[in-house]
Amino acid sequence: METLLDVKGLKTYFFTEAGVVKAVDGIDLKVGKDESLGLVGESGSGKTVTGLSVMRIVPQPGRIIGGSITYDGEDLLAKSEEEMRKIRGKKISMTFQDPTTSLDPLFTVGDQIAEVIKEHEKGISENEAMEKAIKLLEMVQVSEPNQRVKAYPHELSGGMKQRIAIARSLASGPALLFADEPTTNLDVTVQAQVLELIKELREKQKMSLVMITHDMGIVAEITQRVQVLYAGMVAEVAETHSLFKEPKHPYTEALLHAVPRIDQRKDLRVIPGNIPNLINPPTGCRFNPRCKYAKDICSEKVPPLEQTDNGHLSACHFWRSLSLTGT
Amino acid sequence: MDDNKSQNEKISQEKTQRREASQWAVAWRRFRRNKAGIAGLFIVLFFFFIGITSPWLAPYPARSYQSLYEGEAGKAPSLKHPFGTSNTGLDVFSEVLHGALGDLYVGVGATIISVILGLIIGAIAGYSRGGLGEFLLMLSQLFYTIPILPIILIAARVFLILVAQGFGLTLIMLLLGIFGWSGIAFIARGEILRVRELDYIQASRALGASKTRIIFRHIIPNILTPVIVTATLLIAGNILTEVVISFLGFGDVNTSTWGLTIQEGYAYIRTQWWTAVFPGLATVFAVLGFNLLGDGLSDALNPRLRD
Repeated sequence: METLLDVKGLKTYFFTEAGVVKAVDGIDLKVGKDESLGLVGESGSGKTVTGLSVMRIVPQPGRIIGGSITYDGEDLLAKSEEEMRKIRGKKISMTFQDPTTSLDPLFTVGDQIAEVIKEHEKGISENEAMEKAIKLLEMVQVSEPNQRVKAYPHELSGGMKQRIAIARSLASGPALLFADEPTTNLDVTVQAQVLELIKELREKQKMSLVMITHDMGIVAEITQRVQVLYAGMVAEVAETHSLFKEPKHPYTEALLHAVPRIDQRKDLRVIPGNIPNLINPPTGCRFNPRCKYAKDICSEKVPPLEQTDNGHLSACHFWRSLSLTGT
Repeated sequence: MDDNKSQNEKISQEKTQRREASQWAVAWRRFRRNKAGIAGLFIVLFFFFIGITSPWLAPYPARSYQSLYEGEAGKAPSLKHPFGTSNTGLDVFSEVLHGALGDLYVGVGATIISVILGLIIGAIAGYSRGGLGEFLLMLSQLFYTIPILPIILIAARVFLILVAQGFGLTLIMLLLGIFGWSGIAFIARGEILRVRELDYIQASRALGASKTRIIFRHIIPNILTPVIVTATLLIAGNILTEVVISFLGFGDVNTSTWGLTIQEGYAYIRTQWWTAVFPGLATVFAVLGFNLLGDGLSDALNPRLRD
């Protein structure tokens, strides 16, 4: 598979008054053309910051301090702000978690979609942009798109707003979409519809997708490959099916067992403890204080990301000896 | 083809018009339901009307002691002098009308100066994370905590001696404006800090919007409503402060203001109550009007309360 996005050793730190938060600390990320990748982890694992870093819109006081980001053969970290601006939305796009806050309350949704179109297609008339906006609303299955373009965000339901936010991020036909927990703030029934929509759009538009989520159900539903992050580092990378069946990292196993299954009468296993403080992360493997298999070496040495016998990449010292169970 | 195009343009024009109408219509609909706000609006419009038309509406010119020569000084309200005359022969009714112009000039003018200063200082303070932002925040806090009134009184006294007398009221307006921006600056700064972190700003960046577009299209419009509301309330405050300055005798004695008339009447409040009471009532109603209008606007323009 041809690689579209290749991130190597990405480090994005936040220089806060309390100290340096190592939100992303040496993450590798590969996304193929027309691939759907899940980026999974708890809150604070660095999933969103990875996405923001690739687009170079890390909010203050965060800074990318190391690594390389190559998109379609081009070094994104070497680009000027103006060049990046032309890439954002046009080549790499992003949707955000909360549709109620990701749309500007003062403008109609048509205006906001047209704004993106006009930004990337110089010389397009107001009419043509609005026509395109209506087509985009049709594409994301909004009923009565001719009326809806004139609606303000506060006049629409959450699911509708998220569809519109998706339409807006796809307005200039990006080749890569970061979808940052697009269904987290939606009702369960609407969640399924939005997921189905994203899946369809991705297949229709031959677009690569990075689905940022903490929901293993969504991962199973929509992704071909999964990358599990923990505390700003990669824990495991695998084909989705294989990851669920045979996890090779204790954190992945723990995540899988924390998901309720309707077909098995098993108690949910909670992962003890919390995600570590990223100002002073645990030494060695960052998961070691919460890991039930942890040994002395785990707190002494950072485990390298190694290829396992079943084709995963795992950052665990003991992937060979542990027999972890999937679902 | 051409026909089709022009028709399309027409449709889009209609669209644009309808869109703008709807945006203001929502706010107006909310405002209209607010009886106190409507009352405030009418009071404010009423004072603007009498202020602007006072040169023609008032039976006597400003600061005219004509009644003294007609032997009608210190007379109680009558048909000829609806609010009576002062001890010195001023027609109180005329003075209240002329005073409306003077006080609105100071109140509105000073507020415009404060809003411009406050928006600029607050915006810079909100944007720059470094030393400049910190400095401007400290400057705002300084202007917020220092007692403005005594400073203005001293400055007014000193400058009124130096400056040509005709500019007295303008001087008061400038002083109030220059010292009164801190509240607006706090709001502008706070709103910019709030808005700049919102998802839709991040989303605009993620979709390729330029910095200028983000500031002027997405940030400024979203911080304007609380600024408008505060400015309306600030007008009321400025009118009140001007009345206090004039009442204390530090104002412009050659221009009609309510405070000046109250000052001239308060010594005779037992025998000639009308000289002080009518301009006092005018002050109360004007301040009340702007406050009610401000509250009404606050309710109508708050997007979170929109239905």
